[in-house]
Amino acid sequence: MSALPEPAGTIYDIGYRHYEGPRLGRRGATGAIVGAGLRAVFGMGRSARSKIIPWGAVILALLPAGVALAIKVLAGDLIELYSYDSYLWNIGGLLPIFVAAQAPELVVNDMRHHVLPLYFSRPIRRVDYVVAKLAALTIGLLALTLLPLLVLFVGRILAAEDVLAAIGDEAGALPMIVVSGLLHAVTIGSLGLAICSLAARRAYAAGAVLAVFLVGSVASQIFVEPGGTFGALAPFLNPLSVLDGARQWLFGGPVAESPVSSSGAPLYLYGLATIALLAVSWGILAVRYRRITA
Amino acid sequence: MPLISTRALTKRYPRGVTALDGLTVEIGEGVIGLVGANGAGKSTLIKILLGLIPATSGEAHVLDFDAATQGERIRERVGYMPEHDCLPPDVSATEFVTHMARVSGMPGGAARERTADVLRHVGLYEERYRQIGGYSTGMKQRVKLAQALVHDPRLLFLDEPTNGLDPAGRDEMLELIQRIGRDFGIAVVVASHLLGEIERVAGWLVAIDAGKLLRTATLGSFTERTGQLLVETEEPAGPLADRLVARGLQAIADGRTVVVDLESGAHGDFAVFDAVRDEVIGLEMALIRVEHRRHQLEDLFRTGGGDERAA
Repeated sequence: MSALPEPAGTIYDIGYRHYEGPRLGRRGATGAIVGAGLRAVFGMGRSARSKIIPWGAVILALLPAGVALAIKVLAGDLIELYSYDSYLWNIGGLLPIFVAAQAPELVVNDMRHHVLPLYFSRPIRRVDYVVAKLAALTIGLLALTLLPLLVLFVGRILAAEDVLAAIGDEAGALPMIVVSGLLHAVTIGSLGLAICSLAARRAYAAGAVLAVFLVGSVASQIFVEPGGTFGALAPFLNPLSVLDGARQWLFGGPVAESPVSSSGAPLYLYGLATIALLAVSWGILAVRYRRITA
Repeated sequence: MPLISTRALTKRYPRGVTALDGLTVEIGEGVIGLVGANGAGKSTLIKILLGLIPATSGEAHVLDFDAATQGERIRERVGYMPEHDCLPPDVSATEFVTHMARVSGMPGGAARERTADVLRHVGLYEERYRQIGGYSTGMKQRVKLAQALVHDPRLLFLDEPTNGLDPAGRDEMLELIQRIGRDFGIAVVVASHLLGEIERVAGWLVAIDAGKLLRTATLGSFTERTGQLLVETEEPAGPLADRLVARGLQAIADGRTVVVDLESGAHGDFAVFDAVRDEVIGLEMALIRVEHRRHQLEDLFRTGGGDERAA
């Protein structure tokens, strides 16, 4: 045998190595799905174009807090642009856009390209997959529903002349900020994910999410005008006004522009409607993912 | 201790389809062929063993874990390559396999390291950074195998791994499977309806038909000698069979061949060979071949599944 030179580019086979390290099991696996989901929600590791909507929405959501703080620093307490109560209602339009752009990324392709059997053949349960995706979307939404209010909260304290007194003044708002932020993120995340789980393609999913919120918002504004029973029920057509109603029911603080104020329906109904929204969303997700053949 | 054991495993689907019917089998190390026609219950068996669907009755243990209650423990140590397409098109093989390693419970660093290793083992090099959507079927099959292998499983389930491959790709895949079983020390269960392929890689066979165990044995015993001599002649072989029967042998003619029972010769195999030779000369026939008849893998299904097809 003549000694032929090895062809260029040959990679020497160093043999198979077994893995002796730690295995993190169900918890590690679920955490990995949440982590990958968060990257997807914020367009990390993807093209610059897929970062525009999520980061744009976060910046727009933070903008009022920034403006309010700037005015407070420059003009003192003369005018109050944004209150804790009205903040989420005012930036509410950003939430459906964020969900429509980012939630399909989380679930549609796994379903469309039959990737789910690969997930289900790993040390997780079906419910872990759904919960992990929901957690990723919810955490993403908290950047819109909680972060700006916390910025406003901290900023108002730090901008005050007497910081200690300001802590006392502002602290009362903290439970509302946290609970309302969480409630918005979980409910809108659940609804968005449920809608997306039914769609065959990402574009359809995005369209369906926008349609639900847009139609709901327009319809609630139109029907609330004439008043009467119909007008009283109008806010329930819009998930965002349902959530605002639930916030008012829990913490008070009406928002003038919200149809909740003009409807006159008892506030506890918004609480019930929020629970119903969550139940329907989770029900859709449960049925949808149970029916996937492994 | 067998890696897999089932006892009276039965799976009935709601619409009255019985996919597995009292299957009792033990499976050990090496490359094991799980053979059966399409719809014989191969995929159902794999899904029950992975703890993905519950059995209607009976039990199954994989790596000493109960498939009904300890599915997560099993799936942590088992790899699964499904039959159908299961890859997202818009990520690279590296990203996807790394993610799947992490979903198998591996820490991030180890997941990346093993992904690089495993993609090299399955033969994906520079293209591993390209999006999977642009891959050929052969490359996609390799990615599917890599994701099943990346967490260093103790046991691998491959469901029709050569599906959609051209002959060259098929050879490479089979070679890879053999290497995994032999060099990597990972037990491999290959489900296939293609007996010819299973014959090439598996050392042990489990044949199922209509959800029932047909037979389980080493590949050699499936194709061992039958104790019969096959004699093929140029002319119709009827007269030859008659002469042999007249000598006290058991011989059956079928067209131009005669099958002679070797055990029927009172003086051993050689006497039978001699008798055949003498009678062929006596009849002035042209002899084409004389050989020990062997079982063929297909025989299993001819007797097992044949009835159903005739019905």
